[in-house]
Amino acid sequence: MHILFDSEVTADPSLLARCWQGEETFALVPEKSGGSNDWIADKLNCLPDEHRRSRFVLLTSGSTGEPKLIVGLRERSEALVRALHELQQSEPAAETIVTLPLTYSYAFVNQWLWATVFKRRLVVTHGFRQPDLLRASLQQARDAMLCLVGIQVPLLDQNFSNEAFPGVLRVHFAGGRFPHEQLHAIRRLFPNARIFNNYGCAEAMPRLTLRPAEDAQEAANIGRPLPGIELNTSDTGELLFRSPYRAVGVVDRCGFMEITPDMWIGTGDLGSAVGDGTWRLTGRANEVFKRYGEKISLPLLLSTVLRNWSGQAAFYREMDAKGEEGHALMLTPHPSETQVRTILKAFAAEFGRAHWPLRLESVSEMPLLPNGKVNVAALAKITDKSLHWYQR
Amino acid sequence: MHNREKLKSLLVDVFLLEPAEFRFDMTREEVPTWDSLGVVSMAVGIHQTFGYHFTPEEALAIQGVPDIMKLLETKGISFDA
Repeated sequence: MHILFDSEVTADPSLLARCWQGEETFALVPEKSGGSNDWIADKLNCLPDEHRRSRFVLLTSGSTGEPKLIVGLRERSEALVRALHELQQSEPAAETIVTLPLTYSYAFVNQWLWATVFKRRLVVTHGFRQPDLLRASLQQARDAMLCLVGIQVPLLDQNFSNEAFPGVLRVHFAGGRFPHEQLHAIRRLFPNARIFNNYGCAEAMPRLTLRPAEDAQEAANIGRPLPGIELNTSDTGELLFRSPYRAVGVVDRCGFMEITPDMWIGTGDLGSAVGDGTWRLTGRANEVFKRYGEKISLPLLLSTVLRNWSGQAAFYREMDAKGEEGHALMLTPHPSETQVRTILKAFAAEFGRAHWPLRLESVSEMPLLPNGKVNVAALAKITDKSLHWYQR
Repeated sequence: MHNREKLKSLLVDVFLLEPAEFRFDMTREEVPTWDSLGVVSMAVGIHQTFGYHFTPEEALAIQGVPDIMKLLETKGISFDA
């Protein structure tokens, strides 16, 4: 089985096209992943014979940081791309500008595969690693579709604060919390774009729901399931799905696990039905916990932070001195004393002290995973950080 | 820094008060953030700042800033202007 690395396909996307057209199953993985090349090769050897043809394999680390390989069926993903094209009204889009690694299922399916199936132009950038190249691509955009993650919005604002990119027609968000609080900035940057909140996970390969930004007034609303997709919740509140577009299997440290049509698959998120056909997320399964008997929801706390802070923000969890579960807040860039007070006062106004962070810290640059999400596991290990406030 | 200023700085930080709204005659009822966990944070802060560890009974009996000052003064910590 052929293993493609993201730098190879970024340099020459036609490599990916050749693998897609070939019969043999191939893997597309980032250079810096949670698994070594030997680990990936070893795990690919776990694939049953029937999955060694017409499949593709992506690597995901998820928020837990434990790598796993997701095995997709090419014809299913092409069918999903066609469904998304209709639902997202993508026909007017002539090109797509890639700002995320193509190894990320979101960029791979929504952008590379869409461009391949519908014969649209694929513009590969290096995202904010090369902001000038990204700016040039956005300035030259002609009827472009853009796929972003929420954490890129402060970077857009910082790098292109006085600019607008009228050639972008569609802006999609996925891979984390929808940046509802920054919609005004997004609309200023992309005045002609329709904005969508996409939700899914790697096992869904990757899309489950879709919502035009204007259809809800809160970040947590993920919209309606795509036709054919069913959502449900487990006894513990975890959002589950069944999808005709799902991955066919997962390979993790335990080996290969087939995903069958009748299986309800966990998303790792907590969620609930709203009642109007839409669904809302209430947190990651590992982002809601008890502290001094109170239910702490980190996504809810993050909403409060982002109403009062235009930079990046993330929580990481740790025990406090009394052995109670707690959480610390990390900001980027470094805040002023007034900004720190504003955020803390907002916590005080909206929540009891059990919800307040143990510390408010900042770093000059947020550690990110290859897919653009915050590397939460790395936050706790950062030594070069500023401490602005702590709970005694 | 004088002990009065140290105490003000501590309580402003623990209870997230604006420096301008702080008064040395403030009562617990006037400070919404002076909840039960706030009492614990305040007691830890007093220990860190003044070296005296409130007993749980002392901490819970405190009804305002004057009580803190009175209690600490009995331990030899002066708040004379």
